[in-house]
Amino acid sequence: MRTLNCNNQPLLSGFTLSFCLYGAVAFAQASEPNNSINPWDDAALPVHTDAALLEGELDKTTLLKLLDQGEALFNAAFTTQDGVGRPMATQAIIPTKRKRAAREEFSRTAGLDASACSSCHNQPAIGGAGDFVANVFVSEGFQLADFDTTDPQFSNERNTNHLFGAGLVELLAREMSTELAKLRQTGLALARSTGETTTVDLVTKGVNFGKLDIHPDGVVSTKRLEGIDTDLIIKPFSQKGVITSLRQFSVNALNHHHGMQANERFGPRWTGTDDFDEDQVTNEISDADVSALVLWQATLQPPTVETDLPASWTAAAARGSKKFDEIGCNACHQRTLPLDSLVFADPGPMDAAGTLRTGENGATNNTVYDLALLDWASRLEKDAQGRWLVPLFGDLKRHVIADNKVDHLGNELLSQRFVERNVFMTSELWGIGSTAPYGHRGDLTTLVDIISAHGGDARDSRDVYVKLNETEKSDITAFLKTLVIKP
Amino acid sequence: MSVVAESEPMAFHADVPIYAEEASAAGLTIQYDGPWEYFVGGGVATFDCNADRIPDVFIAGGANESALFINRSETGGTLAFEKSTQQSTSIERVTGAYPINIDNDDWIDLVILRVGENQLLKGGPNCTFTQANASFGFDGGSAWSTAFSATFENGQSHPTLAIGNYVDRTAPGSPWGTCEDNQLLRPLNNDNNQANYSEPLTLSPGHCSLSMLFTDWNKSGKEALRITNDRHYHRGGEEQLWNISSGKYPRLFTRADGWQSLVIWGMGIAEGDLNADGFPEYVLTSMGDTKIQTVDVVQASEEQRPVYEDIAYQRGATAHRPYTGEDLKPSTGWHAQFADINNDTLLDLYIAKGNVERMEDFARFDPDNLLLGNHDGRFVERGDKAGIALDRRGRGASVTDFNADGLLDLLVVNRGAPVSLFRNTGFASEHGPRQGGNWLAIELKQNGINRQALGAKLAIKTGNKTQVRHIKLGGGHASGQLGFVHVGLGVAERATVRVQWPDGEWSAAFRLFANHFAVIERGDAHVSYWYPPTAQE
Repeated sequence: MRTLNCNNQPLLSGFTLSFCLYGAVAFAQASEPNNSINPWDDAALPVHTDAALLEGELDKTTLLKLLDQGEALFNAAFTTQDGVGRPMATQAIIPTKRKRAAREEFSRTAGLDASACSSCHNQPAIGGAGDFVANVFVSEGFQLADFDTTDPQFSNERNTNHLFGAGLVELLAREMSTELAKLRQTGLALARSTGETTTVDLVTKGVNFGKLDIHPDGVVSTKRLEGIDTDLIIKPFSQKGVITSLRQFSVNALNHHHGMQANERFGPRWTGTDDFDEDQVTNEISDADVSALVLWQATLQPPTVETDLPASWTAAAARGSKKFDEIGCNACHQRTLPLDSLVFADPGPMDAAGTLRTGENGATNNTVYDLALLDWASRLEKDAQGRWLVPLFGDLKRHVIADNKVDHLGNELLSQRFVERNVFMTSELWGIGSTAPYGHRGDLTTLVDIISAHGGDARDSRDVYVKLNETEKSDITAFLKTLVIKP
Repeated sequence: MSVVAESEPMAFHADVPIYAEEASAAGLTIQYDGPWEYFVGGGVATFDCNADRIPDVFIAGGANESALFINRSETGGTLAFEKSTQQSTSIERVTGAYPINIDNDDWIDLVILRVGENQLLKGGPNCTFTQANASFGFDGGSAWSTAFSATFENGQSHPTLAIGNYVDRTAPGSPWGTCEDNQLLRPLNNDNNQANYSEPLTLSPGHCSLSMLFTDWNKSGKEALRITNDRHYHRGGEEQLWNISSGKYPRLFTRADGWQSLVIWGMGIAEGDLNADGFPEYVLTSMGDTKIQTVDVVQASEEQRPVYEDIAYQRGATAHRPYTGEDLKPSTGWHAQFADINNDTLLDLYIAKGNVERMEDFARFDPDNLLLGNHDGRFVERGDKAGIALDRRGRGASVTDFNADGLLDLLVVNRGAPVSLFRNTGFASEHGPRQGGNWLAIELKQNGINRQALGAKLAIKTGNKTQVRHIKLGGGHASGQLGFVHVGLGVAERATVRVQWPDGEWSAAFRLFANHFAVIERGDAHVSYWYPPTAQE
């Protein structure tokens, strides 16, 4: 097996990864070295992250040091000594017991399906996207949890997303969700004070999420919502847009892909046992471990625009950029969304029980870090109001993406977390030049293919695109391929 | 979930609520007291009387006047109540009260149980009530009433009422062996569709009932009337289950039907479906050990035989003596109520406790129980840690979210002492109070008759787990409630909910997000959410 080390260099996994993590551990436990740890031990996580380091507002020095720990965790090839395996638990996000242990612990379909986060998130660098071979098979994990087929009756096959700029994405979602809640609250106050039903237009950062009809008795009808759940919380992660936070995503994925169960959801408080998966390993992932993982992901620099290009490419990209807007791609793939603050708090404000919440452990693990401390932040543009412009090429909204005539992207059979099968969150296009293949299944190899596969709400723009001449299509490709990840 | 009596109990790691007692500060100043007739009773009706969806309370005073308190609590804040000044709700000789919508209008009515003439109060706007015995054709009688339940029988436009009575004080030899009969009041059909209860049926024999509950005991869709009785006064009596199949004269289940004699100091009934199989379990409070009865499912479903087993010991819920203090004498249990108080998806059990008056053979210091459900199916006592172990004689009670924050608060009517009002301030941790599990609160609405959907069942699914709730009115100890149904969701952030409406029709599946108040209206394919007012409004 080959993988990537802390410096993003391919090396043999076991020794090198352990070495990487030990570096972080040495930092985390600097005041009290653990002499019982050998560099050749199989455990990738012999010592948990020191929670004390994650308290309060982090300065740049501490932030950068914690990045090492987070990266080591993201890169760690977990072993059974760490707690890999969930013989009596399924991949479900709600702790769910199996009736009997799976015959094979590792399974390319139902999981366990990876040793490390970076096993899949590695294109073009750790934290990146994945090739088709790194697809994941998403099922609820409640019934038929041990499916051993890729038949779409049992799971939705999904390509691996990249995580670059993920902290900015989560901050945008938080601000938008907060504003939507305020709009709802303002509507409630108006309806109650006037005694009349009030209609609220749910527009935040220029994105329209439909309307609420609010009655004077405080009852809110959500029938006219568009592209968002009825709780008005934008869930910016996953192809489907159903994961609230990097923290929630990390806890889900650790269990699903590695059988590493985080205390904050699978621990005794919620399950009554410290070994819910019955693998004889307790305390597999601490709250601080998740925090370090989140920190590393949240601080990943956003993708950028490649400018070191031949003149012909630069010219074509300029034309393609213009055409991108002319045919309406930017209606959903909005070039930028404005962000008021770069201050990232973990835990965040939108998660529910089962993902650590603000103040849940007192001061412990309440971490705040300003992404502006990172060098890449200075490269973000600002608008006239001083807001950072996040160039994500997305709207953090769900749309119908397939129809009867253009149906390739309607290739799933299972809805996911109340979201219908042909509805997906607008894919953020930043970094798309570095993350082929395309589509939520990763089964489209060219940009022409993926654009042409847009149906549903994107059908009109797609039809215009299809009718463009080859030069115009090539220009759009030239433009999109300038949106790259440059770690 | 399996329970083995001999196995070592599982360690308890779930959340324990931190209750703050704030009755006085909240303005809930009333005391249930009085002579012998008020050794029992002490009920509270919890319901919304002004259409703001915040629960108000009517509290019995015994020899003192009862009172209606309007809930003025801020959302998520400290509790506050305003005492109503209207005369119609200031009544002496009240033992208990239950809220019910008798006439299918926009306002909840009240059934007032008394030592003497019972009263029906018709609800109106803004928590106004008018005496309505005459207009409902209801003869309040002169008995000592202590129990109530209601149901909507098939084809009826108004609820069927059952009233349980205690000792007949006028009979020769009273009080020993002189139990009053109970009553079943079916609404009469009439042309103007007005509720009329002028032809009550007698449920005889009565065995000095202290709680009663209409219940679909065998998942048949037909309700029977379960009555718990006080052996202290009856002679030859026992617990009862009345077959009240619609339109027929009530008939007791007998030995031939499988009913087994159980003789206890029956004080209160709580119904809950511990294993979500549709066959309810029943808590029966008593002096000494509490019972939890579960039915033999095969006999119940295939032969309609009500054969019960007591599982209180297996479940660690006998609660037979005080769990704190030095007193080893047996406890005296009264109101019982199942609810998921710590929002972990497991039903918890609250029991009000307190010596009858000065019964020397029973514990004098007898704190209320907070039995929290554990993952091995047992209950674990945490009343002291939760802060409810006061030296008071509890009677009726209400486990309700009084400040619309998703956390269940607790109101206890005590004999000879002020009511206790415990606000749930969060859950204990080494760092202080913290948030608990996810939750849902669900209101069901129907147009026309039975607007509050009495008799409906809710199936709440999260992952592979299903929880069941029934919309019931009755049981407890002289106390009942209407309003949102609370469900703990643990770490689930969403739930799928189906409703079986009272006529048996199942709804489609509703998709709900956690930590919301949801309003499900029959015929509407969409769920609406309700948001309580904020301090800023």
